[in-house]
Parts: sequence; structure tokens; C-alpha cells
Amino acid sequence: MFFLSRQTVRRHLPLYAGSFVALAVGVFLLGLAATATAATLAYHGPIADSVLVDLPGGGGVQPHQQRVTLSGADTAGLQVVLSLMAAMSGFITIFVIASTFAFAVAARRREVGLLRLIGATPRQVRRMVLGEALVVALVASLTGAALAQLATPLLLAKASYTDLAPVKLESASPWLPLGITVAIGLVVALLGARSAARRAGRVGPVEALREAALEPPRIGVVRIGFGLVFLAAAIVMLALIRPGTGEAVMPLALFSPMILVISLTLLGPLVVPWIGRLWAIPLVRWTSASGRLARSNVVAAPRRSASLAAPILSISAIAGSMVLSLSFAADASSAIVRDMLTAPIVITAPENAGKLAERIRSTPGVAEADGGISVGIIRADGDSAQLADGEGIDPAVAARTRNLTPITGDLAQLTGKTVAIGKEMASSAHYRVGSEIPVVFADRTKDSLRVVAIVPDGSGVNGPLLVPVELARQHAPQAEPEHWFIQPVDGVEPAQLMGALDRQLTGTGAQVVRAEEWERQQDDGVRKSNQLGLIMLIGPAALYSGIAIANTLLMGSLQRRHEFVTSRLLGATPAQIRRMVLWESTLVGAVALTLGTAITVTAAVLLRHAMTVGMTQVPMTVPWGTLLGIAAVCMVLAVGSALVPTGFILRRSHPSGAVE
Amino acid sequence: MTSTAPTRQYAEPSETPALLLDGITKTYRSKAGTVDALRGVTHQFARGSFTAVMGASGSGKSTLLQCAAGLDRPTTGAVLLGGVGLQDLSEVELTKLRRQQMGFVFQAYNLLPALTVYDNVALPLRLTGRRPRREVVDQVLAQVGLEGKARRRPAELSGGQQQRVAIARALVTKPAVFFADEPTGALDSSTSRQILGLLREATDLAGQTVVMVTHDPVAAGYAERVLFLSDGLVAGSLDRGTPQQIAAAMSELEER
Repeated sequence: MFFLSRQTVRRHLPLYAGSFVALAVGVFLLGLAATATAATLAYHGPIADSVLVDLPGGGGVQPHQQRVTLSGADTAGLQVVLSLMAAMSGFITIFVIASTFAFAVAARRREVGLLRLIGATPRQVRRMVLGEALVVALVASLTGAALAQLATPLLLAKASYTDLAPVKLESASPWLPLGITVAIGLVVALLGARSAARRAGRVGPVEALREAALEPPRIGVVRIGFGLVFLAAAIVMLALIRPGTGEAVMPLALFSPMILVISLTLLGPLVVPWIGRLWAIPLVRWTSASGRLARSNVVAAPRRSASLAAPILSISAIAGSMVLSLSFAADASSAIVRDMLTAPIVITAPENAGKLAERIRSTPGVAEADGGISVGIIRADGDSAQLADGEGIDPAVAARTRNLTPITGDLAQLTGKTVAIGKEMASSAHYRVGSEIPVVFADRTKDSLRVVAIVPDGSGVNGPLLVPVELARQHAPQAEPEHWFIQPVDGVEPAQLMGALDRQLTGTGAQVVRAEEWERQQDDGVRKSNQLGLIMLIGPAALYSGIAIANTLLMGSLQRRHEFVTSRLLGATPAQIRRMVLWESTLVGAVALTLGTAITVTAAVLLRHAMTVGMTQVPMTVPWGTLLGIAAVCMVLAVGSALVPTGFILRRSHPSGAVE
Repeated sequence: MTSTAPTRQYAEPSETPALLLDGITKTYRSKAGTVDALRGVTHQFARGSFTAVMGASGSGKSTLLQCAAGLDRPTTGAVLLGGVGLQDLSEVELTKLRRQQMGFVFQAYNLLPALTVYDNVALPLRLTGRRPRREVVDQVLAQVGLEGKARRRPAELSGGQQQRVAIARALVTKPAVFFADEPTGALDSSTSRQILGLLREATDLAGQTVVMVTHDPVAAGYAERVLFLSDGLVAGSLDRGTPQQIAAAMSELEER
């Protein structure tokens, strides 16, 4: 049957162009993620800058050694983003390929029936469709991989020296990553084509004798079953986004929309007509025949409407929830900064500012000057070692500038070889007051620290490991505080003190700002570093979904040539048909965006609640511009890619074509 | 009109009929109610015979053809092709029987646009898993008068030529029975004559059996026997009728 597959693909090139483009772009993105990951894995950093840590093992893990970079300049951040990018591209690819192949098969129902008539068994028909998928997938995967190879240096150049990978990245050997990518592309295409093939195998020989290919009105029980399973999984994931789940709330908020999208796509033919009916109420009232026709078309062909809505739903829900969730997470972290910092003035010191301590402390009106010294501390568990930011503080001073009231333990005991740790690290590594933590300091000395207190998390204000300032000084003699928190003497106005500090610090490059201003700067920093990750994640996915939306609508419209021509014969003007298509695609777009918005809001609001419970004065930042932009792009794509082929068909055909 | 009302006479065992319809009925059920398309048709088609099935629209002639060819399953009754009961076969067995024993020619030419004339004709052979022998395909193409067109694609041929490709495709597997549904419906009269001549040849020279549904008395005139269908029942038959006789019988049937 492979002979036949090759011939039919050549003949139905326009039908397969969509699948080809979709898969090539998908493989391109996957390939890019793979080659870039290979580059990050190939990066080892200077050996001199790292230390070998002995790990005791335990829990089935053998004792071994692990190399940890002391400068913290590694590529872990980029690796996380790349793997997210790969997961998302793979997810959307399966999606799009399945729907484009389903279209390609549905459009040829009669031809498949003919094959069955002249003696092709269902098995042979299935093999033919899979063979077609293989032909398309092979060419598309190789094209995508070649493009990825060409684009890799560009991505690496952009990603080098950023927050995600503060190092110089070089291309690694592309053969293995691209080989894996091509294989994934083939598997994804065959998985996507499988259901289409199975459907083709069920086409009976009588189909060859029937006129129009009417879609089967009902969706299968299996499909509903899977839809409900995914819906249940998504609900469980959403229910887990609550205070107490800890660090996992963020990935849950990012992945539950994907599961919801799968579920709603499977259940789409049941859901879409209902929401379509709702949106059609104003449409039917305001327009004459065209709105009514559009409603009938959307409601009466639930499968087609659902498959047109699917790509719009997927990109709006995934991109929307990612944008809104990250924004709310940034809100939460700035609320944390606000809650933790009690000092009204912050001084930020540039790297080579020299010794500021004396100058600050000698300024009249300064009650407390809290400058923590940062020191790299490698914390070893049973089976892993990680570099963490340690901060050397004077507990007596810090307690008056920050909100450091311990949850358990006593900060007064923070002297000698002791440590106070944040709540989250304590719960994830199961530390209690009195635990001994084996550590390696930045100067390669090994030691063990006793936990004396567990304090509230305050990332941005506190390091996750607080040690006595003397201990930090001992292991990092050159280090100077990056910022100082200043508490004025009672009765001294902060504004007045700021002026005095400004004069005192002239020429050092240090900046004196109000705490609120500093909080805002921190917040901007978080949002800016989120932005790069967002662009890397949503950019390619948006491009891809755009192609997918255009793809399905294009194929959907081209299939309706006969219907349009018949309508012309019945006396509909081209403008009326165009209006009908306009309303129809608007309706489908509105339904998809409604569902996408519901998913976005649900995930983000749950995340916000989970991250900010118990906090006061949490700011609310909704990135309206980006969100409305996503919606607008989806809508323009949906309407445009329905209208363009319609216009093309109407220009190229005449009513007399209906009787051909 | 020589009336042979539904009979249940079986031929002697030595002469198994090519196709036997034994009391088949077909009822379609829908929300609107039930429709009896066939209400008990019994007929045997002898080997090497050319039978035309005629009747008004909705008389059940297309349903009869589809049931006889195993494309649709009758509600009750049995269809025996060369002595094999179609109702006992699985979908795959039925498909294999279809590609070995049956040939189809329809009003729409039903060619695969992606394939050349040669590949279209060779397709049934390829589907059986055999590599088609060039001489076999070339010989059938010559038989239908399409020498030298093997490399063309269907879109480059006239309607009559496309129909001849369809006949060549049906001939290539040397089927026992040909099923034709309005094979000349879309053709002009001289092209029609050539097509019907080819079907006639199949019965006369190769001993194949042809069952043809048509509403055209001229086309039916090529058959040895015309079977008239009305309201899902065999209303009568006419042997070796001229087109005029057949037309007269048809209008008589419609007036009844």
C-alpha cells in the first residue's frame, strides 16, 4: 500500500501541505530545544571554579561525588525553559497533526469508499493512511530538523549571558539531538494519524456511491470517556493548587490548563454547540439571514466547529494562563518583599563601592544599618548537592529591619556554626530545629551547621540560609553587602535621613531609595526575567498555533466549495456568503476564547490564592495588553483564515459550477 | 409481457447459478419511520447471462444491486455468489471475495485521480498483494480500446474513456459477476453503445455474468433478460426485448 500512499500524497498535496507545515514547525521547535539542551549539557564551566562534594547516599543511592559550580553560573535555568518549550511544542504538535490528518481523511471519504469497493480491506486502507502520514512526516521532520540546525547558533547567541544562562554557550554535535527529534516527529505523526486511519478503515464500500460526505452526528463513547478522565485529572490538579502544596503550585498552574485543553477538545463536540448558541443570541438579533445561517452551521456541525475551535482554545488557554499566572506570582513575591521589609530606607551598593559600613553607621539619625553579606553555601543532601545563597546577618540588627520572627527556634542562638533556614526549604528537605546540615563553603572548606531557627520565607529580602555574620565573613573575607536596610532613630523623618545619607555617600555610586521604590525595582526585575522565559515559551507556541488555526480553517473552507457555489446558485450574493463566513468564524473564535478565558482565570486565581494566603496588601497586576493581544491575534487569525479562502473560492467559481 | 412472477425454482446442482437472491428484504429504519426498500426478491442469475434491472425511482433497484454485491446486508434472505452465502462472511472475507469475484462499473467513473490509467487498472491486482503482470494490464487496456493511454491520468481523458478505464479495472481480475449501476448514464449515445458492447463481450466471450441497473430502454436492450422492479418486488421480466418493447413494458408498469 506504500506505493498508493506515495501517489495519493502527491495528488493531494494541498490537503497535506497543512500537515507538512505544522509538523515541520513542530519538529523545528523540538529540534531547537534539543540542540540547545545539548549545548547546555556540553557546557561544563571552568573546572577551577567548581568543587567536588561527597554525598553519603542513602535510600538506595550509592555514596558518590557531585561537581558543583561555585559561581552559580550554570545553565539550569535555561534547561528548565528548554524542556518546558519542548513539552509544549510536542503537546501542540500531536494536537495539530491529529486534527489535520482527520481533515485530510474526511475530505476523501468517497475515495476511501472506492478503494474498499474494488477490494481494499479495512486493514489495507489503514495502512495506506498511515503510509501517507509516514511520507509527509519523513519529509516534514527532516525539513524541520535542518531548519533547527540552522537556527541553533542564533538561539544560543541570544540565550548566552542572560539570567537563564549567564555563560557563553557553544553549539554541540547536532546528530544525536536531531536524530531523537526526527524520531519523535515520526512517532507524533503516526500517533496523530492513527485515529484518522482507524476512522478511514471503518468507511464502508457503499460510501463510494453516496454523494456528500456527511459527518457522523455523534462522538464515540471512548472519546467521551477519555475526555472525562482528562477532565477529572485537571480538576484534581486544580484542587491541588492551594496553600500548603508548596513549590509545586507553579508547575500545577502551568500544566493543568494543558490537561483541561485536551479534555475540552475531546468533549468539544458536546460543549462547543452550547456556548455557540449563547453567543449567537445577540448575533441572530442584530443580523438578518447571515447570523442565523452561521449559528446553524456552527451548531449543526459540532465536530467541525469543535476542531476549528481546538487550536484557538489551546493557544489562548495555555498562553493566557501562563502570562496571568506568572504576573500573579510576581505580585505575590513583591507582597512578600513588602511584608518582610520593615526598614523604610534601602541603600543599594554597586559592586566596587568600597567599604560603606563606616560611612553609613556614622551618619547621624541612623539607628540600625543592616547589611547582609552573601556567601555561597553548597548544601548536601543524601543524594544531591546544590549551591544556595547564604546570607551572613547580625540577628539583633536584622530583627529590627526585617520581619524575622522565627516560626520555631530562636534567632538569638545564631552564633558560631549555626544556620536559620526558610520555611519552604525546611519542609522540602525535612529539616527541624537541631538538625545538622553538611555544607561546603565557597572557599571549599567543609563543615556542618546546626539549625537554630526556621523563619518565614522572604525571597528577595532574605537569603534561604541565614548564618552569623562572623561565619560568613570568615569564608568570604572580601564580600561586601549588596544592599543595606536602614532603620532611622525614633523621631527622625526618613526623608530627612535620606538626604543626609545621600551627602554622606556621594562619590561611592551607592543609591539611597525609599523601601517602596526598592520593592518596585525588585518587582520589575522579576517581571523582566519572566519575560525572556515567556517569550521563549509562548513565542514559538503562538507561531505554531497561528499556523494551526489558519491551517484548519483553510482546509475547512476549501472543503465547502460546493456548498458556497450552491448557495450562489440559490441567489446568495458573494457579500452574503462572506458575511455568513465572517459570523461563523467569529462565533467559533468567541466560543474558543470563552473557554480559554475560563481556563486562564481559574488557574491564575487559584495560584494567586495559594501563593498569597495570609498576606496583606498584595498588588494586583493584570497584563491586559498581552492578554488582549493574544485574544485579538486569535480572533484575527480565525476570521482572516476563513475569509481569505472563501473570497478565493467565490472569485474563482460561478453559480453554474453547482451543476457540474 | 412474459411474466415470470417470483419463483423459488433452483437450478440443478451441476449448474450453480452465478448469483442467487433468495427472498431478500431490506428495511431501512430512521426516526421518520421504516421504509421497505425490498420486500422479498428471489431470482437467479445464470452463468454468462446479461440481466438488466429496471424500475421507477424508489423501486428498490439500487438497493437490490447493493445487496447482491454484498455492499449492504439484506434484512432477511440470503445472497449466494457462486454458491457462497455472503451473509456468513466477515467483512474481510467479503472484501476478498469482492476483489476476486466481482467487478463494478458505475455512472460516476470512480477512478482514483492520483493514479495513472495503468495504475488504476492494476490497483485491484496490487490489493491482492500480487505484483501485476504488465502483459495482463496491457491486454485489458487493449480490450477496451485504450492502447497508448496507459500513462495518462483520469482528468486527461473524456468521459467515455474514463468509463472504459473503469471497465478495464473491473475486467482485470476476471470476475465472475459484473455489477453495473447506470454505466451509461453520463455518456452520449455512441459512447454508450461502445460501453454496452464491452459488457456484452464479457458475457459472450468470457462467460462472465452481468447485472446492470438502468432506466434506459436502449441500454436494457443489450441484455438477454430485463427484470422489472416495482415497490421492492419483482413485477415481471422480459427476455430478448427490443428497446421499444422494453419501453412499452416500463410505461405499462408505471401505469399500474
